[in-house]
This record gives sequence, C-alpha cells and structure tokens, in this order.
Amino acid sequence: MSTTDTGQRRRGSDSRPVITDLMDEDTILAVAGDAWISLVGEDEVLVPIPGEMPGDVLSSWVDVVGPWTGSVVLTTGRATAEALSRALLRESAPEVLDDEDVEDAFGEIANVVGGSIKAALPGPSGLSLPQVGHSPLVRNPADVCRVEVLWRGEPLTISVQGALPPLPVTH
Amino acid sequence: MRALVIDDSRAMRRIVTGILTNLGYEVRDAGHGREALDVLDEGWVPDLATIDWNMPVMDGLQFVSAVRSNPAWRRMTMMMVTSESEHTQIVRALAAGAHEYMIKPFTADAFRDKLALLGLLPQEVAL
Repeated sequence: MSTTDTGQRRRGSDSRPVITDLMDEDTILAVAGDAWISLVGEDEVLVPIPGEMPGDVLSSWVDVVGPWTGSVVLTTGRATAEALSRALLRESAPEVLDDEDVEDAFGEIANVVGGSIKAALPGPSGLSLPQVGHSPLVRNPADVCRVEVLWRGEPLTISVQGALPPLPVTH
Repeated sequence: MRALVIDDSRAMRRIVTGILTNLGYEVRDAGHGREALDVLDEGWVPDLATIDWNMPVMDGLQFVSAVRSNPAWRRMTMMMVTSESEHTQIVRALAAGAHEYMIKPFTADAFRDKLALLGLLPQEVAL
C-alpha cells in the first residue's frame, strides 16, 4: 500500500529545538553571574531566590536569530534598573541619571548577557541591538527558560524565550 | 596617545573612556562607524580605536573594512570590543583587519592587559 504525502505530516526538517533542549536554568544563572561580576562588580551576586516584582517594571532584551530564535529578556523594577545602571557606570556615572541613561545602560547589560547566552547556543546566530521597554510576549510557553533572582535584595528575572509559536500538532 | 571609542551604548562609551583616560589617553567617542569615520576625516587619527560590532548606521565590521581601505589610517590599531563571541565572528573581524578582539563583559584589568599586549600602554603606565 502506498501513501501520499499531503504535506500535513511534520517532516523531520520541520522540527526545531526549544530552549529547554539547549540550556537549563543553571546555565543561565552561571552566565548571568559571570556577567554581573565583570559588569557590576566583583562582590555583586545574583541570588537564585524569587522575589515580588514591583508595579513599575522595565525590561531590556536582545534577539537571537539562528538555529534557535528568540529573546534574552531582563526584567526588574525601574528603581533597580537605575541602581544597576549606576553600578555599571561606577565612577563614570553622571550625578543625575536620566531615563535615557538608565535605558541605555540596562540595554547594554541585556546585550552582554544575551551575547553570553548566544555563545552557549548552537550557531551561527545573529544578535540584535538591545531594546528597552515592555517585555516581548511569550509565543510558546514550552520554549521558555527563566530564572528569578535577587540582586541587592531586589527581584530580577532573566528569561530566554522563543520568538516562534508552537509547531502545529500532527496526528 | 589618542583613542577613539566607538559604541552605540553611551554607558559602554563612558566605561571604556574612563579606563583609557585613567591610563593617560586623550579620548574621543562615536556612536557608530559612520560617526567615527567623520572623526577620522577631520584628521583626528587615533593610535587605538575600540570598536563595538553591532551598531546602527554602520557596524563595527564595516568600519574596520573602511579604515583598511584608506592607507592614511593604516597606523591605527583596531580592537573589537563586543559581546559577539562566536569563533566565526572573531575570525571575520580579524580577517577584515582588526588587530585584537575583546569580548564583553571585561574588567579594567583585562582591558589594560590587552593594551599591554598590543604595546599600547602609555610609557609612564607600562613602567
């Protein structure tokens, strides 16, 4: 008996990895921890404990495009983002940090963490310029790897999330 | 000695400028490759350019290629300072004419070590 391929069945080449096939929370935590030490300070640690996010939050992210496509998103309270920016800039920080300074610095932190995450993923991949604002939507809940940490007692999340919707289920 | 810091992140420009100023460099900065070429066109040719990869308008790789095509800028040392860490990216940058590659994040000490490797520490600092 012969069968006809109607195109409805998923071919092997249609499969794509989800982020949990490629990395786990410990990897994200290790990558972010290393970035924190270099960027923010030697004594600065990320404690893997969830905290309650304040109402006024800010996200910064970069997109990764390659065998896995998605975003590396950092989210924290606006006040924490400002403290982070000041810690990043250290003695180079201006006396008053305006919103643009905070968004720029917080975006650069996402850029560096995203670059390190990308290095741990299969390549070749491209990295976008950082963006700051409201976090991109999760398109596929199965394609998310997320860690919740405290920095100086304040909550921060790092989410590595796919940009593509789930593949259709085949029967 | 002179350095040109090229990065679209104002924060990163401030950080790298701070490190280089502490080492005794006279520093100018630019937010992308095109703006950096404008500085060179003015006749302000640095000993060192630190160059981010991903930037709007003109990226770091395009800037390196543009500099390499102009013999008047040949003496300038170009160091990529970027979060792009894939081996193929490093090879591409070096093949285009960059002299050194530094991956973000970095510490001030690591930055200084790279400059020492390139023979670009001002004499009074190197001693």
